[in-house]
Amino acid sequence: MSDFKTQVKELNEVIIIETEGYLNNEGGQKVYDICIERMNLGSRKFLINLTGTKVVNSIGVSILIEVIEKLQEVEGKLGYYNMAPIVEKTFHIMGLSKYSSLFKTEESALAEF
Amino acid sequence: MEISIEALQVKYLELETLLDFTNNLNSFENTPDLLQEILVKSCGVLNASAGFILLEDSNTDILNIEAHFNINITPLRSIIFNKKKGFVYDIKSIGKTVCLDIDTNVHLSKINAKYAIIAPLQQKKDIIGFIVLLDKESRKGLSAFDDSDSSMISAIASQASTAYSNIQLLEKIQQAKSFNDNVMESIATGVITTNLFGEINHINLTAEKILNKDRTSFIGHHYGFVFDQNESLINLLLESETALEFKSESNLTLDFHGKKTTVNISMSPLLNDQQQHIGTVIAMEDLSNLDKLKSTFQKYVSKQIVDQILINEDLLNLGGQEQEVTILFTDIRGFTAMSEKMVPNEVVDTLNDYFNQMIEVIFKYNGTLDKIIGDALMVVFGAPLPDTNDADNALLTAVEMQEKLVAFNQNRIINGKLPVEIGIGINRGKVISGNIGSSQQMNYTVIGDAVNLASRLCSAAKVGEIIISNSVWENTKEKKKYNCQKLTPIKVKGKSKPIAIRSIQHKKNTEITYLALFEMLESFQTNNIPSSYSYHNIHHIKAVVDAVKFYGKKEQVSKQDLLYLQLAAWLHDIGFVWSPVDHEKKGCEYAKTILTQLGFSIDIIEKINGMIMATKIPQSPKNLLEKIICDADLDYIGKDNYAEISGLLLEEISLKNDISEIDWLIIQKKFLESHTYFTKTAKQLRTKNKNKILVDITNKIEAYHGRS
Repeated sequence: MSDFKTQVKELNEVIIIETEGYLNNEGGQKVYDICIERMNLGSRKFLINLTGTKVVNSIGVSILIEVIEKLQEVEGKLGYYNMAPIVEKTFHIMGLSKYSSLFKTEESALAEF
Repeated sequence: MEISIEALQVKYLELETLLDFTNNLNSFENTPDLLQEILVKSCGVLNASAGFILLEDSNTDILNIEAHFNINITPLRSIIFNKKKGFVYDIKSIGKTVCLDIDTNVHLSKINAKYAIIAPLQQKKDIIGFIVLLDKESRKGLSAFDDSDSSMISAIASQASTAYSNIQLLEKIQQAKSFNDNVMESIATGVITTNLFGEINHINLTAEKILNKDRTSFIGHHYGFVFDQNESLINLLLESETALEFKSESNLTLDFHGKKTTVNISMSPLLNDQQQHIGTVIAMEDLSNLDKLKSTFQKYVSKQIVDQILINEDLLNLGGQEQEVTILFTDIRGFTAMSEKMVPNEVVDTLNDYFNQMIEVIFKYNGTLDKIIGDALMVVFGAPLPDTNDADNALLTAVEMQEKLVAFNQNRIINGKLPVEIGIGINRGKVISGNIGSSQQMNYTVIGDAVNLASRLCSAAKVGEIIISNSVWENTKEKKKYNCQKLTPIKVKGKSKPIAIRSIQHKKNTEITYLALFEMLESFQTNNIPSSYSYHNIHHIKAVVDAVKFYGKKEQVSKQDLLYLQLAAWLHDIGFVWSPVDHEKKGCEYAKTILTQLGFSIDIIEKINGMIMATKIPQSPKNLLEKIICDADLDYIGKDNYAEISGLLLEEISLKNDISEIDWLIIQKKFLESHTYFTKTAKQLRTKNKNKILVDITNKIEAYHGRS
């Protein structure tokens, strides 16, 4: 049913996942799978470019929390940028911003990572 | 009861989302964006994996998919959502949010989903659509929506319905505004609106053109500033604003940034639904183009015909068609010879002056000026607009043209110019009328035998004569107005048989024309005889006119002769306008010109001129009328006021010759001794008094010699 798409690239040891579509259970699971796969290959830094995601639900957010928990186990970190206001607001309400970093742009995100 | 932080966060998110709806949904300007936002946020907040929104089609029973999210649209589009069938009908009947297990609903089986929650969108009390959310997500998999979801989506649907209604209203207003703007922009009337403060807030395209400047120069400015050159417009606006009444003005010439424009203008107070004044609507119709059209047409036809054509174009038939019309031809007699004595400018001025006068008459009687051919005019009556009075109008035109020419010639004669003399021919018959010519030049005209004959009749007419054909006379309704005389039929080129013709004269040429003519002669002489003439002035002329009436009646002349006597009296000293030398001869020349143009016969003109010449001193009357005018001219010498009148004569003569008292007495004595009254009446009434005056003068002469 979902039309959720992802593109993955690596830049300065940072895995950047660009999403497009509804970050719900299905979308969240795709992101989760990519992150676990890359973590198993040794990556520890992940950024999600949410340019193409205009809406996210709480299930999607809870999956991202699971990703954060997995990263915390290996001292990795997760960040996001290019968020729509409603997505940013949802992340704040769901407490995501406490455990991961929110950035305005890719440049500012890479500078912190 | 234990509540998890995550559950609280989800509730918080739901509340925030609902608040977002409240705050933001009214900010959308179009329905698709609004519906998509409602759907996406609903899916997000209710953890639905997908969704779509259905809305009723106002023309059918089918609901259309107006928004969809995260769903394969192809199978969805294959479902017919009929409001009279299936789940749509069921939920409409229930009227509130419903949670569905899709597996049990045949209608939705094409959708790849298990669960649905469907919330109605309402406009007032009517259900106009649905928000359909599919498959509630959890980390454990998909689940059915619960009561809490139902409350949430109902609240969202309620907000969404309000927002949708608002946006629909907004769209309708915009459509109405757009329609209104389109209408306003396309109409030929200029429309300007002002607000309560008199500031211009709308100008349509036509108004912009009339105002002769870009609309941005006016929007937001007070009308007093915009129309500062047009006090009459401002006053009209003020009147409308003060009285809250409709005001209008026709043919108002306004100055819009250097461009003079004639408009019909109206002002209407703009009222809101509580009838409160909120501004003014100014509507203006630009008459410039109409004026141009009219002025172009008016070169050829009368204003009345132009107006009729403009009101009803169907009346106008410019295509070739056969119709009966009356054609009038007139030309100036001897104009070629006359023009040889003039400089070119004078020829043009003469013709233009003459044509202006004549064309005014033509249009007065609804004639169409077909052509100006050199010094000739061709006029058509009954085309392009048919006219049942075409023959009568042609005759009235001919008569009035002659009358106008008299006044026209008076001015020419005063200025030492030769009078213009015309002849008129009128015929009636079938012609082909229409636009005739080449693609480069095309003119409305009439052609045919009837036109040629009218031209021949004009050639046959003598100076001052109106010659008409039988067909004109037969179609003249007001025959009583004219004296009609059958003339010898004339042979015309191209016609085997001679053509019967008539000469016509308006009956008003009897009494009414005489009175008008007398008035004209009085006015002419009052204005033009030099004021230095103490005796030979309008008072003397009027005294002679009174005297001929008196003697004429006493001598029992006919009513007609009495009119001739008066006419001669009015004309007998008219030569003084130009010179006292040979003034009788000059008066005769003038009389011949004027009376010929008025249609007087040569016999009558000679009769009048005989009377004028008879008054030349020494008087030489040959008939009773001449005797009467001679006695009338010197009536004063047998009357009590002799001294007073002769004193005026002495004053006039003294301007050129210094005459002593005794010389004047001797002149009078000789004149009185040589004078004799000719009529019985004058002899009876004046001789005694004249002789007494003669004695008095003789005594004065003797006394003078005695003194010396």
